[in-house]
Amino acid sequence: MADKNDLTSREKKLLRQMYWRSFTLYSAVTPAKQGASGFEYTMLPFINEFYDDEEEKKQAMVRHNSYFNSNLALVPFIMGVTASMEKENSQTKDFNTDSINAIKTSLMGPLAGIGDSVFWGVLKAIAAGVAIGLAKSGNILAPIVFLLIFNVPVQLIRWYSGKMGYTLGSTYISQLYENGLINILTKAASTIGLMMVGAMTSQMVTLKVKWNMVVAGKKVLETQSVLDQVFIGLLPLLITLGCFYLIKKKNVSLNTLIFAIIIISVLASLAGIV
Amino acid sequence: MLYQAIVVALVVFLTVGGQELLGFTQLGRPIVIGPIVGLLLGDVQTGLLLGASLETIFMGVVNIGGAMAAEPGLASALAVAFAINMHGGLGVALPIAIPLGIIGVEVKTLIYVLVVGPFAGVFDRLAAAGKQRKYTGLHFGLWTLQWFLYSLIPFFAILFGSTATQNVINMIPASIINGLSVAGNLLPAVGMAMLMKILWENNISVYYFLGFLIVAYFKVPLIAVAVMAIVIGVVSAQNDYRMHKIEKKADERPVAAASSTGQTNIETTDELENDDFFS
Repeated sequence: MADKNDLTSREKKLLRQMYWRSFTLYSAVTPAKQGASGFEYTMLPFINEFYDDEEEKKQAMVRHNSYFNSNLALVPFIMGVTASMEKENSQTKDFNTDSINAIKTSLMGPLAGIGDSVFWGVLKAIAAGVAIGLAKSGNILAPIVFLLIFNVPVQLIRWYSGKMGYTLGSTYISQLYENGLINILTKAASTIGLMMVGAMTSQMVTLKVKWNMVVAGKKVLETQSVLDQVFIGLLPLLITLGCFYLIKKKNVSLNTLIFAIIIISVLASLAGIV
Repeated sequence: MLYQAIVVALVVFLTVGGQELLGFTQLGRPIVIGPIVGLLLGDVQTGLLLGASLETIFMGVVNIGGAMAAEPGLASALAVAFAINMHGGLGVALPIAIPLGIIGVEVKTLIYVLVVGPFAGVFDRLAAAGKQRKYTGLHFGLWTLQWFLYSLIPFFAILFGSTATQNVINMIPASIINGLSVAGNLLPAVGMAMLMKILWENNISVYYFLGFLIVAYFKVPLIAVAVMAIVIGVVSAQNDYRMHKIEKKADERPVAAASSTGQTNIETTDELENDDFFS
């Protein structure tokens, strides 16, 4: 790791501004350029610091008013890298400015991929899982616990990755990629996430079958207890796997699935099955 | 009713809109909005329970760069408000909320394309002219405008919708209401499936079943499952890393012999760094 102490106090202030301004990345999302205005807003302090010439400032503004879309937790890293390149550009004569947007674009895709699975798939799932348990037992702290479990790691990552991006530049992340370490990290995170999702499936998806086989007024088969003897939660598990199959392999939309479940449940209730 | 309409609209503005200003803080999730609306309308318990249920259903709905399948925030705010007005219509409130979530995302898309979209050109012109202050003003102005417009939906929905919804619900027969609550318990399956779509890989899919089994048979709380999962994740990452190192050495040997020794030196410093990373 590079020495962080070589940041001037001026640069530390700029990085603080970057941290706060980057919150607003998607405040004015447009279909054409997504988070362009938020990225530009975050870059403005750097542009004003590094360039004196008005013309150069304008060029930098045009540069960052371009399509940008990534994962918000890791965006400060990209911004840090970009800012360090702007600094280099302001100090070097023959700097190729196209490389700034090239790096931006090459980082935003992969980081969005990792970020979405780690933060949405794992962290958000854990935070929600714990908070839902609290809320169901009537604990008023549920929303606060949810926000803390999610935001403490995310804000730390936002702050430190921004700093890291600025000091280490773009080489570090490409090294991680070339080493194949990213794959190992992603796999570990997905393992954690998948196990949590399995646990949540068992806890949150529930179904009780009411229909029993009756012969001559006597119950001969209690469907639900028989099912429980086979495997507890067999039906919810199968239904969840079915939904997953339809979403993944058949590209069935979320809304179709939701309405299908509602309609089937109502029909099953009318038929006395559930 | 006017008080309720204003409160719910304000909550939607500050949470669903607020999470775009304070990006990625999850302010607009049902588990947050439910209790807040419940608190302001005088029934926290209903807010908590509905927030929890809707959070599960919309678990997999993630908003990535403005594209999403449903807008859980609006749905939650309205569902809680309606449920409190109707005194404990928990099973009923869920299926009301879901269509609302879908209407919400339609309106959001409409605002996104028709109201904010056309300003892309203005941003371009301001950037080219170097007008920083105006650019920043537009950045925040558009945020205010779009979420103000969006908050008008809950405002009018509560103002005019509550009595109408109640009348409709009174007419629904009991077996359909039972069916709706059954659906409420099954719908989390969809949320889980969406998450699985993000995470699923065949070689780690057994862990999904392990998680399921632990809770189904041992009734372990989720936080304990999370800790177990993290242990498994760390152990498997350590193993993978060891394997990775062995494979890399096997690959490198012929190359290193052919090229200069300098390359192998770089390699070893890399590995040292990576060791730091994992410890």
